[in-house]
Amino acid sequence: MKDRAPTRDELLAQAFADGELEPAERRDFERRMSLEPALAKEVAALQALDLVARQCAPAEPMDHEWRKLEGETLHQLGHKGGFGFAILGALGLFLFASVNLWKSDAALEFKVLTTCLVGGLLAIFLTVLRGRLRTLPYDPYTKVKR
Amino acid sequence: MILATTDDIRGREISEVLGMVRGNSVRARNLFRDVLAVFKNMVGGELDGYTKLMGEVREQSIDRMVAEARVRGANAIVGVRFSSTEISRGAAEMLVYGTAVILE
Repeated sequence: MKDRAPTRDELLAQAFADGELEPAERRDFERRMSLEPALAKEVAALQALDLVARQCAPAEPMDHEWRKLEGETLHQLGHKGGFGFAILGALGLFLFASVNLWKSDAALEFKVLTTCLVGGLLAIFLTVLRGRLRTLPYDPYTKVKR
Repeated sequence: MILATTDDIRGREISEVLGMVRGNSVRARNLFRDVLAVFKNMVGGELDGYTKLMGEVREQSIDRMVAEARVRGANAIVGVRFSSTEISRGAAEMLVYGTAVILE
């Protein structure tokens, strides 16, 4: 909650999120959103709030227990530690396999082509991940619970 | 915007039918959620990661349908229907469609 009067842009963003702008105003606002990331983020935040309001279903009995469990240190250690070790193991195995491949007696062509394949797939993955991380602030649907 | 699964809204007259509007979305969970789901599959219970996925895809599809109806100048959508398919493992598509109308 902001302790000041909303700015004109905040009011416009609210009206846009609520679908209250006239067609010409909407087109102007859409044009501005494509040029002003802060404005687009404001709209995404308002849409996320609207989504939360749409889903104010009462908590179920097991929700309380899940919340308690998620607050427990053992539960957090199990999750974070488990994922941490799994990622460490995967990276370690990848490095280990790479080093052993280049140390092996395999043909140079095989080593180069395998490195190209793995490197290419890794480059695609990192590009997709970069795109996802870049667009995440504009995705209000990540706030949906169920 | 009024959304209804019925063909009309009791007490309101449909003054104009603007045609079908639809919204669809395909979303995927991330690898971490998939790993958790694999283990939850073994022990049973709700796969809340996938429940969340379906919730996300449903809300996004509804918003897209509503956005299309707004552009057409509608103030209600009647006969709303949901349809979902599995595109690939861990990803879901939902299609929401209905008839955009103007209520008096």
